[in-house]
Amino acid sequence: MRYRLRNRPTIVCCLTFLMILGLAGSVWADSVILQVVPPVVEISAFYHGREVTITGSLPAGYQAVAEVMGPVGQEHLMRKGRRGPLWMNVGEVTVSGAPSLYMVLSSAADLLTEASPWGFQSLKKNITLTGVPENEMGKFLGQFLELKKSEELYAVLPGGLKLTPAGNDRLEVTGTFRLPANVKPEKYKVCLTAIRDGQAVEQQCVPLAVQMIGFPALLMSLAYEHALLYGILAVVIAIFTGFIMGYLFKGGGGH
Amino acid sequence: MFLSLYLPISGNAINILLLFGLGGAVGFLSGLFGVGGGFLMTPLLIMAGIPSTVAAASDSNQIVAASTSGTFAHYRLGNVDFKMGLLLLIGGVVGGTLGVQLIKILRATGSADFVIKVTYVIMLGVIGSYMFIESLQSLRKKVPVDRPVEEAPSKPSVYARLVQALPWQMRFEKSGVTLSALMPLVLGTFVGVLAAIMGVGGGFIMVPVMVYMLRMPMHVVVGTSLFQILFTCINVTIMQAVTNHTVDLVLAIILLLGSTLGAQFGARISRHLKGDQLKILLASIVLIVMVQMLVGLVWPPHLLLGFKGGH
Repeated sequence: MRYRLRNRPTIVCCLTFLMILGLAGSVWADSVILQVVPPVVEISAFYHGREVTITGSLPAGYQAVAEVMGPVGQEHLMRKGRRGPLWMNVGEVTVSGAPSLYMVLSSAADLLTEASPWGFQSLKKNITLTGVPENEMGKFLGQFLELKKSEELYAVLPGGLKLTPAGNDRLEVTGTFRLPANVKPEKYKVCLTAIRDGQAVEQQCVPLAVQMIGFPALLMSLAYEHALLYGILAVVIAIFTGFIMGYLFKGGGGH
Repeated sequence: MFLSLYLPISGNAINILLLFGLGGAVGFLSGLFGVGGGFLMTPLLIMAGIPSTVAAASDSNQIVAASTSGTFAHYRLGNVDFKMGLLLLIGGVVGGTLGVQLIKILRATGSADFVIKVTYVIMLGVIGSYMFIESLQSLRKKVPVDRPVEEAPSKPSVYARLVQALPWQMRFEKSGVTLSALMPLVLGTFVGVLAAIMGVGGGFIMVPVMVYMLRMPMHVVVGTSLFQILFTCINVTIMQAVTNHTVDLVLAIILLLGSTLGAQFGARISRHLKGDQLKILLASIVLIVMVQMLVGLVWPPHLLLGFKGGH
């Protein structure tokens, strides 16, 4: 008992410190706020890509990086090489650990350099290639990123996020990115990271769904679930159109 | 993008007018020369952003429409030799099946891509050059048109004697030739094997085979070739839809609307052109595609990685 009484000031100090930490924690829980508009992107008959807006806020004095990521999986590619004077596919390359889509936006251009932990540098650490010579791994990793960039599925947008003072010692974050026309209908994730002195302090993630609706969805289900019917339908439509066109043109011009 | 349409099987959006224009241009050539146009359309669709497997399968589907329209137009003009077409078709189906098996073996040994590309360049180069030179010579000599040229004194006579020595001689009234039934069957098989290896309908090989080896008149060649291509592509479309799910109906419909219109114009214009003029034009297009492919094979690619069979 005496022992307890003797250490009372220490216990009080510890409790007070923990309480302050707890309060700080509750403040941090709301310190990075993120919203994506629209949260669901619908692929309809006239879909040709879509702008998605990122809005949010974080405490003043921080920088921001936003990442848009698709599910990680395996991709099978062909490696080109030279055989005599000719360039051709010379083998298969399996890419593991790469997201189907990756876009990164930052509030300052220097956040997305070769040395930064965000962007393509962080991706490279997680991607493995099989089917390429060991001494050419780096070269083909770069080629893979270039290929995805050319497909508009990977993008680096330094300065793509704007920070504006929002009062209450906070900054408003805004940015836009374009989901390309060839994006797959699946579940994506958008994450906003608050950065100070080059270090990630906190991150908030929200889901972004891409789904097929209407005529494209109907056609996909027909093509995959009733493939024979789909094939016959395709042929019948083609023959019918061919005949109609032939009939319409009958006697419609000189021979 | 204005007037863009989403193509669900291709997984991409593309401009409707661009597709319609592509279909129209290739359909025009189809009606003009009696070729399916697969050797032109598939590379053009790939360039427009369509995965190669979807481009080839959907192209087969649109060729069904173009060749229906073209066969119909040529049938009305009396240019289809159904007897010859049927024999070529039987040979083509046998050859196509053999070719698919051959490709499977080549894929297992890892040399399929090399064989496909080299076959393309050689076939296009040989056919294009031969047609071009031969047609140019006959145009200069002002020999009668519409009939295959009976020049080159020694070789054709040996060939003709060989052809006459074969069993099962048959009269093909529409083409005005008497041949062994083995000829169209064997040649159809040969074209079928090449078409399967190259993944095309085979019209651009079939037309020269009919002209130079079966000695058919150019206008009957065009109609008969379209008739044969029609059935080949019906088979390919259904097979691709069932096994690979690569037939994009939306893409095919836009292409076929353009191609059927184009085929009608092509069929009509073909009546105004002489046989040798048609052959020179087709030879030029075949040679341009060959040169483009050859450059693609020799020129270092921008990227050393590519998507396997599309996207």
